[in-house]
Amino acid sequence: MLLFIASEVMLFGSFFTAYFFIRVVNGYPWPPEGFELPRYVAGVNTAILVTSSFTMHWALQSIRRGNRAGMQAGLVLTFLMGLTFLLTQVIEYARVGFAPHDNAFTTIFFSLTGLHGAHVFVGLTILLFMTIRAYRGHFSPEHHYGVELGGIYWHFVDIMWIVVYTTVYII
Amino acid sequence: MTEVATNGHGAHVEHAPAPPPTGLRRFTAPGWWRVLWMMPLFWGIGAGIVLLLRWYAAWDPLWEWNALVVVAFLTTMPIGFLAGLGAFDYWVHYALGGETLPEDHSGHGARSWKDYFRVNTDHKVIGIQYLVTTFSFFVIGGLAAMVVRAELAKPGMQITDNQGFNGLFTVHATLMIFLFVIPAFAGLANYVVPLMLGAPDMAFPRLNALSFWLLPIGGLMLVGSFLAPGGPPAAGWTGYATLSTHLPMGTLFFNMAVQWAGASSIMTALNFLVTIITMRAPGMTFWRMPLLVWANFTTSLLVVLATPFIAGSQFFVMFDRILHTHFFNPVGGGYALGYQHIFWFYSHPAVYIMVLPGFGIISEIIAVFARKPIFGYRLMALSMLAILVLGFSVWAHHMFVSGMADYLRVPMMITTLLIAVPTGVKVFNWLGTLWEGRIHFTTPMLWALGFISTFVIGGLSGVYLGAVPIDIHTSDTYFIVAHIHYVLFGGSFFTIMAGVYYWFPKMTGRMYNEALGKIHFWTTFIAFNLTFFPMHLIGTRGMPRRVADYAPQFADWNLFISICSFALGASIVIFFYNMIHSWKFGPKAPGNPWHALTLEWQVSSPPPVFNFDEIPQVIGSPYEYGVPGARHALLNGAKTHELEEVER
Repeated sequence: MLLFIASEVMLFGSFFTAYFFIRVVNGYPWPPEGFELPRYVAGVNTAILVTSSFTMHWALQSIRRGNRAGMQAGLVLTFLMGLTFLLTQVIEYARVGFAPHDNAFTTIFFSLTGLHGAHVFVGLTILLFMTIRAYRGHFSPEHHYGVELGGIYWHFVDIMWIVVYTTVYII
Repeated sequence: MTEVATNGHGAHVEHAPAPPPTGLRRFTAPGWWRVLWMMPLFWGIGAGIVLLLRWYAAWDPLWEWNALVVVAFLTTMPIGFLAGLGAFDYWVHYALGGETLPEDHSGHGARSWKDYFRVNTDHKVIGIQYLVTTFSFFVIGGLAAMVVRAELAKPGMQITDNQGFNGLFTVHATLMIFLFVIPAFAGLANYVVPLMLGAPDMAFPRLNALSFWLLPIGGLMLVGSFLAPGGPPAAGWTGYATLSTHLPMGTLFFNMAVQWAGASSIMTALNFLVTIITMRAPGMTFWRMPLLVWANFTTSLLVVLATPFIAGSQFFVMFDRILHTHFFNPVGGGYALGYQHIFWFYSHPAVYIMVLPGFGIISEIIAVFARKPIFGYRLMALSMLAILVLGFSVWAHHMFVSGMADYLRVPMMITTLLIAVPTGVKVFNWLGTLWEGRIHFTTPMLWALGFISTFVIGGLSGVYLGAVPIDIHTSDTYFIVAHIHYVLFGGSFFTIMAGVYYWFPKMTGRMYNEALGKIHFWTTFIAFNLTFFPMHLIGTRGMPRRVADYAPQFADWNLFISICSFALGASIVIFFYNMIHSWKFGPKAPGNPWHALTLEWQVSSPPPVFNFDEIPQVIGSPYEYGVPGARHALLNGAKTHELEEVER
């Protein structure tokens, strides 16, 4: 699993490389005039996603202690927060006021956040499967590897977002 | 037949296969009947998503072929194919909260040829599936090369037009690299690595099956691109932007085929890594692993870390084309050279992905047929790790003439020349192994020796090309073509051949025809050198590559090269005749025809479904040939097999 994550990090790496070339090597003003990113909305969104990592951890700890209800609640909360994040992102895309084909700045904005959004989507799918299994009575204090793996992936998505948010929105 | 075997992973019971479904049940059971309706269904889903989004956003025109091709034809339809074949059945069952099924192993083993055409989780079946598939694409890629050489036999245009020529060499190179060399090594390793480790199978058998089935999808996409409007992809296998973002639609097929093949190799690599780390037999420490396993370990690390970069680069090209983004378009502030940096950051490590497994194969064969312990075992493994690390620091040597920053040139030249050191260590260790050995000139050994000689030539021209001044002079000439074929054909292909001949008895249970094998080697070896060596000459005199027409002073050499290349193509026919005929009619192979020590030879040929009746106990190095009393492993199964052979 950690090897798979390493592979994913390299995929993000290739996108960041493109970002680096476009922004640093080309040396144009950044962001170009007239292009503003909704930094604060995205900041709130970041807070939601980071919180969801804690609920994910809570779910895992609960099943380790044999607390099934805790795991179920943790998974559902994580799923809902992830969904909120994704929907906010979609609304942001619709209202941000520019499109991927405007210039290189918008290209890299949409591709980095979009790549991350795709990963959130995959993470949500995994969470959904975990939730279904949790409600159908699977997982126990001894056997909860599925939750653990889903959790690793979710934390990865979360940490990656912090990197993406910092580079795209803040710096 | 019920065979009960016990090992460290609990009891395996081989079930008789369920009777094939009949009537309407055919359409719901995993298999080709279900593919028939699932492919159109998933195509419809993909097309529906595209149309719905375009309709919702009021984009014009609604029916946009580029987007439809990428989403419906090249993404969702292949997923439908996989779903129909049953690659996802177990996971869907799991995701929807079904009970964890006890493994019934019905997906294991092959009882008839039909079992090779379904999702099979047995690593030995998958290995053979890989090899047969890759050799099929090898034939197609080879035919494309024959047409290219026919066109180049005379100056002027005879057979194709310029664009058709570009398409032919693009498809040739892409098939050979992504659908032959890389997966053929994966196939050989799939068969052999679990056996060498003393494991009953790979760590993730279902993932293994899935990663195989991604491969024909990628290959058929490339072959199918000849039907695309505007012809096949024609930007070379490197697909440089911004050329590739402006060519006809065939380029999309290239982008997506590379994604599918890349996903396949990432999955296989993860599988190998986990298998090698967790499934070694007791006593099999890292320093007792055969070098082939080491080679696949390092290669898999390279694949896992580097392949996402080519995925990224192809995504960018595709987005630039269908979403009109500006990754590489300088008008909107994009950075055109970025493509080359990202592409070569994968594709330079990829040349080691294409040759390190070959190094492993050669190490096995040379030790066995020289009857000597491999010289400098630990250094062999460490030099591969050194290549792994250095391989990531040399990518810009492909770009000396691209107009990149000047200060990158000299550091890249130095790291490139440094890579010759671990490679040289390996070559000298092979020579050291041969030194005063009792060399048996069997067919695999001939291929191995042929490999060393041609690879040294290719490696040396690589050192020339690593030096900036020579590279600037020879960039985009036939010198490059000669170099790449000396390392890929004389390197990778020769090692694949060595491996196929070496393990043919193990895989099929039959011996190949030794005389035909030797004839095949000598014809290929001679025709190969006559074809590609003169390219060094015409290259240094300035004949440009990737051009369908050329100046008349190169006519004589080109005619000679073309004739020799047809001889080279014809020599493959001997190989296929030998393989197919021997598979059916060859004499039965004993368990260990080469008297090798590694574990795969200690079981019957072909091995039983779960490889070992009892997981072996490894007690020593795998290469102690000629050392009195040395043993690699203790097996109970081996004793009974030896008895069987005596009785027979």
